[in-house]
Amino acid sequence: MGWVARRIGVSLLLVWIVASIVFLAIHLVPGDPAELLLSSGGVAPDPGAVAELRDRLGLNLPLAQQYVSFLSGVVRGDLGTSLVDEYPVLDEILLRLPRTLELIAAGALIAVLVGIPAGTLAALRRGSAFDRIASGVAALLLAVPVFVVGTLLVLVFAQILRWMPAGGYVPLAEDPWRHLTLLALPALAIGKGLVAVVFRMTRASVLDALSRDFVRTARAKGLSPSRVLMRHVVRNALIPVLTVLALHMGTLLGGTVLVEYVFNWPGLSTPLLRAVEARDYPMVVGIVLTISALFVLLNLVMDLVYAALDPRIRHA
Amino acid sequence: MRPGTKRLWVPAGLVALIVLLALLAPLLGLPDPVRQDVAQRLAGPMPGSPLGRDEFGRDVLSRLIWGARSSLAVAFASASIACLFGTILGLLGGWFRGLGEFLAVRSMDIVLCFPPVLLALLVVTLLGPGAGTLIMVLSVLYLPGFVRVTYAEVLSARSHDYVEAVRALGASAGRILTRTVLPNVAGPILVQFSLAVASAVVLESGLSFLGLGVVPPAPSWGLMIRGARATMAQAPLLLLWPCLALTLTILAMNLLCDALRDAMDPRTATARPRLRLLDRVLPGLVPPAPNAEAPEAVLEVGGLTVEIATPRGPIRPVEDVSFAVHAGETLAIVGESGSGKSVTATSVMGLLPPAARPVAGAAWLEGRDLLRLPEPELRRLRGGAMAMVFQDPMSSLNPVHRVGDQIAEAIRAHRRGVTQAQAWSRAVDLLRRVGIADPERRARAYPHEMSGGMRQRVMIAMAVANEPKLLIADEPTTALDVTVQAQILDLLAELRRETGMALIFITHSLGVVAEIADRVVVMYAGQVVEQGSVPEVFGAPLHPYTRALLAAVPDGDTAPAGIPGVVPQPHAFPVGCRFAARCPHAKPACEAAPPALEGAGEGRTVRCIRWAEIGAKKAEAVA
Repeated sequence: MGWVARRIGVSLLLVWIVASIVFLAIHLVPGDPAELLLSSGGVAPDPGAVAELRDRLGLNLPLAQQYVSFLSGVVRGDLGTSLVDEYPVLDEILLRLPRTLELIAAGALIAVLVGIPAGTLAALRRGSAFDRIASGVAALLLAVPVFVVGTLLVLVFAQILRWMPAGGYVPLAEDPWRHLTLLALPALAIGKGLVAVVFRMTRASVLDALSRDFVRTARAKGLSPSRVLMRHVVRNALIPVLTVLALHMGTLLGGTVLVEYVFNWPGLSTPLLRAVEARDYPMVVGIVLTISALFVLLNLVMDLVYAALDPRIRHA
Repeated sequence: MRPGTKRLWVPAGLVALIVLLALLAPLLGLPDPVRQDVAQRLAGPMPGSPLGRDEFGRDVLSRLIWGARSSLAVAFASASIACLFGTILGLLGGWFRGLGEFLAVRSMDIVLCFPPVLLALLVVTLLGPGAGTLIMVLSVLYLPGFVRVTYAEVLSARSHDYVEAVRALGASAGRILTRTVLPNVAGPILVQFSLAVASAVVLESGLSFLGLGVVPPAPSWGLMIRGARATMAQAPLLLLWPCLALTLTILAMNLLCDALRDAMDPRTATARPRLRLLDRVLPGLVPPAPNAEAPEAVLEVGGLTVEIATPRGPIRPVEDVSFAVHAGETLAIVGESGSGKSVTATSVMGLLPPAARPVAGAAWLEGRDLLRLPEPELRRLRGGAMAMVFQDPMSSLNPVHRVGDQIAEAIRAHRRGVTQAQAWSRAVDLLRRVGIADPERRARAYPHEMSGGMRQRVMIAMAVANEPKLLIADEPTTALDVTVQAQILDLLAELRRETGMALIFITHSLGVVAEIADRVVVMYAGQVVEQGSVPEVFGAPLHPYTRALLAAVPDGDTAPAGIPGVVPQPHAFPVGCRFAARCPHAKPACEAAPPALEGAGEGRTVRCIRWAEIGAKKAEAVA
């Protein structure tokens, strides 16, 4: 259990460093939120009003003091309120984060459901037509940028075929069917690269497992081919696949920005883009912190899952 | 051209072409990519504009080529900066260790905490869009990759002998780093560089697409896609061209990265021979009938010949091998590496690798020819009537399952209706039987938690789980300590006595043969060269190879005499006697024609045309 505790400790440390860097970066870069808030139509705002607003927002306090109050807020679960509309940052995140996570989960689900069986089959039929075609498709999927796939999906399915709406969002509770049709295209777009990655990794790792001595042992025991495949080949081959999946799901947390933009999906990225432009410090820090913390958490969870799958890790 | 080089040159040529186009853009006489002409808005192909005009009436082809220029400029600039600083940081961190290592290498973990697009987005929106900001943030993003690659290389280079030698000669750190380490790191860094460029093109276009990268009206593929989205209903082609250009460029770059990586790491590049369907179909030769005079043989192998398809044509690592083993008997198959012992055993078990297949002969077990049995029936015999113990118990056990489960699995594969609990308790009994202390607890262990000897006991328990009639042990003690070897031999002998199973013991050690076996088959270069009972073969070896093997065993005061030369490779087997080249008694006649396997008394055979002659001479010399 010492290993788990140390791993969690390192994760917390990383989150703290990330929070500090984001906080410092946004405060040290030029650009005054009070001035931006009060200026309209290119007219310079009244200096007195700006000073008053800065005072009210606590921006005149020393940076160190702002930092301490920020950190103590984070620990208490209080990320402050938006400078623009005084809406609590945490509420905004809690509203939008599930939508972003839903997108990623749907993409990962597609990747696992398609990538693992296809990769296993390609490895078993190495050099066959299926293997070559699937490997080619994977190379292509890796090469097409996510926003290109998204845009082309909209062009084909929404503009030309008119099977699906071009984008938007309806809560699941309101209209489950429409919710799912709206989810389909962005999930496909976000899952496309992951499918390719999972496919490649599964193929390589199944090929590797097939040549292992313990697979020969399993066959020497007289096990049925399906049992050899599931328990001795795929079970062992899944460990590296999961690692890669976790790594790339982390990258997806950032990649959703493009997909949410293309499909008008109201996830975390819209308020992030808006907040950075308005120098809405608490909102930016809160969102970046959330995503990075999720990223670190995901890696932590995957390390733990990895240890559960591979008994050798627990002792390392 | 080798397929490997083709894999490298095709994408490399494509990337070179794209880079060249981008470099030469000003010289190609293209229309101004930013000049607007609203009258020609969304116009189709026309003279001077083969791809038509965009939503502001600008020439699409010209914008595509100029767009490549800005994408590639950003990508190469950021990859170069990251490469330069990353390599320096990695070199310093790997060489000086300590605090330098911590600052240079561990700090990179922080960059890796941000999803790349998020970090880029944050910096670009803070500093304002533009090529300069893009290059800066992309360089930071790719820094960790270069640091890690260089760092790892330096660490491994430090331990190399030649670096140690130059250090001992008093070369300065800077000199060693640049003269000896850097050339070694060049390969991995090149791969990393190509990865960074490809990934930078993706990120640059993504940010430009969001309106945060290259500033309009400058041409960029991301911006072109962004612009064409608005008019995709009227002019879908406008969307397609930049998408195609972008995808093709990244695809070529990715393929180049893969090919470079393969070229740097030869292990991944070697392709195994492809399997033809034909190879799976067994030849329709009429199998020789089992020998009626020895009906009690558990396994009788006759004329076994195995062929392996290789890129250089088929080879026969095992040719015309015959032997029999009876219940309660131990037969040793002995020979140097490459003599075909293991191939013989695996073909009997039906576990040959896909490229290998038996082309002639038969292997009779309980009245059935194993070489012609369909796989489902063969499967019922494997682990049931016949079982095998392999050489390396660590790699032969699945690391992710408990050993008790792995034994129970063998039991349940052959006995219907046995519950997991029953199989488990039987597995515990088996572990106790093979001499593992505290079997209840040990059954719950994973292979890596056991010693080598204990793992081999587990393998034996697994093999005898279904009371096999035949147990094949393929060098089961080679990977073990000497003291453990003797215990495993004792265990196998004991199990054989108790159960009356036939045991085939494959080894290269004559000492082991003398200790455990009743009869011995000596193999050389895929053939049986001598066969007989252990006392007879050891007392009066007939084949010069057997004699040489016995002389090579360390024996008290006489120094072992090594055998000059090596076993010939299967693709270079000579026409005549395969041992002739190493044989002290070889005559021209030996190399002329293949010697036949001759009978030499009760249960003895030998493959040598001069065995009687040489034997007589020896007897004379002794007399």
